[in-house]
Amino acid sequence: MKKIILPFLVSLLIFVTAAHGQPVRIAYLQSDIHQLPCWVALEKGFFEKEGVKVEVAGIFKAGPELMSAFAAGALDVGYVGVAPATTAVANKTAKVVVLAQVNTEGSAIVVKKDGKVQSIPELVGKVAVVPGHATVQDSLFRKALLKFKTQPDQVKIMVLKPPEMIGALRTDQIDAFIAWEPYPAKAVTTGVGRVLATSRDIWKDHPCCVLAADERFLGAHLEKAKAFVRSHVKAVDLICQHREEAIKVGVKYTGMDEASVRLAMENVNYTPILSVEGEKEYVEFLTKLKYIKVEDVQIFVDRFMRPEFVKEIIKR
Amino acid sequence: MSLDFLDLSKTFPGRGLEDGVHVLDQISCQIEDGRFVSIVGPSGCGKTTLLRIIAGLEKASTGRVLLDGAELLQGSEAIGLVFQEYALFPWRTTLQNIEMGPEIRGMDKEKRRTKAMEYVTMFDLTGFEHRYPRELSGGMKQRVAIARTLIMNPGVVLMDEPFGSLDSQTRNGLQEFLLGIWGRRRDTILFVTHNVDEAVFLSDQIIVLSKRPARIVKTFEVGLQRPRDRTGYECNEIRREVLKVLSEETK
Amino acid sequence: MKKEHFLLPLLVILIWQGFSSLQVIPSYKLPSPLEIILGFKDLLIIGVPPGNLLHNHMLYSLYRVFLGYAIAALLAIPLGLLMGWSPVLLRTTRSLFEVVRPIPPLAWIPIAILWFGIGIKSAAFIIFLGAFFPILLNTISGVLSIQPILVEAARTLHAKEKDIFLKVLLPGAVPSIFVGMRIGIGIGWMTLVAAEFTGVKEGYGLGYMIMTARDIQRPDEILAGMLVIGVIGLLIDIGLRTAESKTIKWQ
Repeated sequence: MKKIILPFLVSLLIFVTAAHGQPVRIAYLQSDIHQLPCWVALEKGFFEKEGVKVEVAGIFKAGPELMSAFAAGALDVGYVGVAPATTAVANKTAKVVVLAQVNTEGSAIVVKKDGKVQSIPELVGKVAVVPGHATVQDSLFRKALLKFKTQPDQVKIMVLKPPEMIGALRTDQIDAFIAWEPYPAKAVTTGVGRVLATSRDIWKDHPCCVLAADERFLGAHLEKAKAFVRSHVKAVDLICQHREEAIKVGVKYTGMDEASVRLAMENVNYTPILSVEGEKEYVEFLTKLKYIKVEDVQIFVDRFMRPEFVKEIIKR
Repeated sequence: MSLDFLDLSKTFPGRGLEDGVHVLDQISCQIEDGRFVSIVGPSGCGKTTLLRIIAGLEKASTGRVLLDGAELLQGSEAIGLVFQEYALFPWRTTLQNIEMGPEIRGMDKEKRRTKAMEYVTMFDLTGFEHRYPRELSGGMKQRVAIARTLIMNPGVVLMDEPFGSLDSQTRNGLQEFLLGIWGRRRDTILFVTHNVDEAVFLSDQIIVLSKRPARIVKTFEVGLQRPRDRTGYECNEIRREVLKVLSEETK
Repeated sequence: MKKEHFLLPLLVILIWQGFSSLQVIPSYKLPSPLEIILGFKDLLIIGVPPGNLLHNHMLYSLYRVFLGYAIAALLAIPLGLLMGWSPVLLRTTRSLFEVVRPIPPLAWIPIAILWFGIGIKSAAFIIFLGAFFPILLNTISGVLSIQPILVEAARTLHAKEKDIFLKVLLPGAVPSIFVGMRIGIGIGWMTLVAAEFTGVKEGYGLGYMIMTARDIQRPDEILAGMLVIGVIGLLIDIGLRTAESKTIKWQ
């Protein structure tokens, strides 16, 4: 009897500690200054202080790619745009829920400095690029066009990854791009482009990146998820209170110069509070674009957004 | 046209430190115009090399070849060569193979078609003029090859064991066929074979070569009337003599 | 099209549909055959991105591929014939090609964008690189594999270098050229999807369509698009094989 029990107990112990010690697999977007809270939390060890081990399982070029990783079961938590997250959940490829906001605003439409296009209606017939279909920037851009009475199908909208956008603008391959900070800031500081419209001009206080978690992870490790959100709120606080420190982290993780990062952060509003109304607008907009089909918007948003996580933390 | 060989020798250069291969050794003889002459000899003795030199595909190391008394130039249009392996162009039909020579010469389409069709008829290939070589039997293929050479009216026709890869029935048939055509045209033919029966049946003259390096061992005149009886007494006599000389060489 | 060709795929589809219906395979990872058919319908009628219909994607992709492929063939075939014909040319150029050839076409994408910008020129360039080398190498091999005796036969018919090139090397190499062309179009078509990642200005292209389907999280449309690409590739290959058998009647 002893011969069976002892190895069994040892295996059980290993299994339990292993399961407990499994790092949380997180992901974020490459050089996206919106995701600064994630980088700050990593740099300052906030996750460890809350007792959570994390492992960066992926750095992605755009939101849809990150959502594919969720679909493949490769991620537990991700910093991602709310539009690609909504699209993935509505089309049932990923099962995630949103635990906290990361930022609002923080994108801009950029055109060539001293170029031919100096206003939005002048984009008709020109080439403009977005980081991907069904990204926040894609939605913002189309909203901007409609706001200025221009039909999106009158503009040649292309997909390009943000690192390639500035070069393409410089060589006149494209006439405009919309991307998350710090790419617009970098275009300005290198003298290539100028900002035609910030996301604030297009849609004030629009939600942008969110903290999304895989439903299975949430179900199995609720305490870890809560600890994660606590670390996130701490990071957002630090950014607001200690700007200079935050800028240094931004420089490290974007690899860009301090001037660009500083300029970029002026366009971004970091907050952990979720905007449910903002999300409803996204759902309606994405449905209109025929990217998704959602029967009941309210039910969808209630399932998708979990503002209670952050509310609980802020109450204390 | 007549051919003269004057002290023809050929040595193939050796590779690296190996010695060269001495293939032909002072071959001298005369081939008269209009005669059917066979060359027999042990395998590998250099018969094919001799033909290739005359055809211009190889160069002699020493010696000369005269055509009708004048120096034979390499690539001379007076020489035609029929290969043992037929060497028909597989992507061309019978008709197109036969008209290849005239086509290269620049003869216009109508004329060369007509001429080629003459040879199709002459060589008993009617009905097969639009077939491809892969659809022809061995005997037919060789007829096409010979027709392709003869349409050029060469002064000397070289034939390198043309019936070597055929079965004996087909071979005998083609020998008679060749004689029939030659009888009307009287080309000068230099016919290489290792088959003594064949040489005796076909030729006016048989030249026997030694083993490598080849010299001319003996020349036989075959004065028999054609058509000849293969199994007849006279043929057998000559055959016996030739074989005797040959067997000396292959010891 | 025989019945046996369809038996196995049909079986696979039935088993697959069974697994999907029983939820053994989750739909978001691998849509069922039925969902793919519905996705295909959406590609046809609604389009991905919405408004861009399938037939336009197909036309633009076919145009890009044929542009890159045509340039590849027009350069590779004459170059391959010359390289097969001239040993000097082959020796001097060989090392250059052998260094470039192993570089995968996709690795050229950043350079292609720098040289040709975003759009059809760089996509066609990537496809050109994929198609060029198989066509070139098979053409060279086609020339080199022509039996030397056929060249000699042409020489005995007094062919000059120009004649040998046009009447022997070129027609003799045709079967290999076709092989190279089939391999080339196969690789070219496969490279298409990746080539369209260089950027599709017009908003149309099968690769771009699949990428967008991925962006808007529609795996059913992704798979339907992949199948379209596969079927078109098959049809192109069948088309070339038919052209081949009609042209090469002599094998």
